[in-house]
Amino acid sequence: MHSCNLDIEINKLSKIEGHADLDIRIRNGKLEEVTLKVMENVRFFNQAVQGKSFASVPQLVSRICGTCSIAHLTACIEAVEKTLGVVPSAQTVLLRKLTMYSLMIRDHALHLYFFVLPDLFGIDSILDLADDKKELIHEALHVKEAGNNLSKLVAGRAVHAPYEQVGGFSHEIDPSRVPILISELKKVRPSVLKLMDIFYNCSWKLERKTNFVAIATPDFSFLEGKIKSTSGSVIEEKDYWDHLHNVVLPYSQASGFQFEGKEYMVGALARMNLNKESLHPSTQKDAAKYLAVFPSDNIFHNNLAQAIEILHSLDHSIELLRSGEFKKEEPAKPTRQSGEGVGAIEAPRGTLYYWMAIDEGRVRYLNLVIPTAQNLINMRGDIKKIVEDACASGVFPDELEEKIRREAEKIIRAYDPCMSCASHFLRVNLN
Amino acid sequence: MAEEQVKKRVGIFSLTCDEGCSIYLTEIFNQKLLGWLERADLVYFLSVKNKTDFSGLDIALVEGVVTSQKDKEELEKIRSNARVLIAMGTCAMSALPSGQRNTFTPEQKEEIREHTETYGFLPRALALKEVVKVDDEIPGCPISEEIFIKTFERYLT
Repeated sequence: MHSCNLDIEINKLSKIEGHADLDIRIRNGKLEEVTLKVMENVRFFNQAVQGKSFASVPQLVSRICGTCSIAHLTACIEAVEKTLGVVPSAQTVLLRKLTMYSLMIRDHALHLYFFVLPDLFGIDSILDLADDKKELIHEALHVKEAGNNLSKLVAGRAVHAPYEQVGGFSHEIDPSRVPILISELKKVRPSVLKLMDIFYNCSWKLERKTNFVAIATPDFSFLEGKIKSTSGSVIEEKDYWDHLHNVVLPYSQASGFQFEGKEYMVGALARMNLNKESLHPSTQKDAAKYLAVFPSDNIFHNNLAQAIEILHSLDHSIELLRSGEFKKEEPAKPTRQSGEGVGAIEAPRGTLYYWMAIDEGRVRYLNLVIPTAQNLINMRGDIKKIVEDACASGVFPDELEEKIRREAEKIIRAYDPCMSCASHFLRVNLN
Repeated sequence: MAEEQVKKRVGIFSLTCDEGCSIYLTEIFNQKLLGWLERADLVYFLSVKNKTDFSGLDIALVEGVVTSQKDKEELEKIRSNARVLIAMGTCAMSALPSGQRNTFTPEQKEEIREHTETYGFLPRALALKEVVKVDDEIPGCPISEEIFIKTFERYLT
């Protein structure tokens, strides 16, 4: 043990979504403080939606996040529908599942290939991969493109998808494109199997007992189900807020959350720990070796869980595309113009919750719970553990700083945080 | 053999926004990236790399809105280092949706006042061209794929 004083500042963490800084303060070889600062400027959507027509608000809140815009769009539409008594058709539900799958494929692929693989290979950027690994760049682009093309086919575009609306989809699927897309999804499957193997063989480990929370959907489609926790709770989506406690984080443009009074984690690892038996049969078959890892307390297994979710998204999408007839439908209509309702879905980074109140067709109130905000306290706990372990490891002070920087960035990336999202938080007063 | 052309130095920057344009750009990359890398070096793009270099940019692609003093200083720094500055997307061109706060009611402005003061927000959220000279614009939310490719390739040659 070396008694050193160290102030480590990381400004603008790279290879994450949005802006965050990290300050670490070590005195006499002991960790004093970890400050994770979400530096994304708030854009005040809570206020901006007030008085807007319910039909226009989903496209507006889609702008909360670039990479998971489809998750915000879908959760907000669900909240409007529950509020106004809109019952979407079976075909609409099927198209929403496909839309969510298209998001998972390209969003997880962006994170795993572009953000995490460089750490795994000890390089700065995927573009710096050595010649014998260069095929991974091609595979990254092809997997992302498969998700991107699925978004285009079903929802019109991967970012701020224009076709998904309250009550249904504004455009039908072009049947002539379906077989082309099925073969594209099948074609990238081997790349995803390889990606799973890479993360299965990764030796990174950080285990710290925590609670995992996720919506357990019966077909792992990220849309509807009971909210479950590894601590044993089973909750209706509409009651989620009653189990959360909002925690103000100093120096940060976002606040954190506790679940039933304790820190917790949401996201792919939580879903895998709570619901792996609901994955598609083809995924269960081909990922059996990797699925045996779960339940896991190793936060780095979030990456493996994301890779498995890409495979599931491909497999279930192929089945749904084969089964659908995709006929033209009129959107389902509201049965009332006022009320309150909750929409909750599993976004790529975890449970996304929308609580909305509408008066005479206009939004009066909106409250969001963002996945990354729910993970902030757990993430800070993990960074603390990494710093404490590094301090106790006996490395020399000049190496210590480098080690902490590297390890802290790795664990933050394992969460796949989205700071653009995290800076949108609730307004608790209801009037 | 023809002399190798000097690669253009390209930076991609995000001010206050959802980063939807740069995310969509990574989707445009699926088809285009490897070809573009023969003519360009990505010297600043935090979504893809940590090592960054601001200096002597041939092309700066900037998404987002100038909502804080920090945004303003960053944009001025980008401008002073870039030969060509391109505003990417609706945020950069029109300040929306961050600029929604410009038209808030007095009550709404009061609700957000503590936050905007604490974090050094400007009195109004601004489009890029309200702060610096902008050489070109790519519209859309997110950017139009077709216009982006056409515009970017024009500056690459």
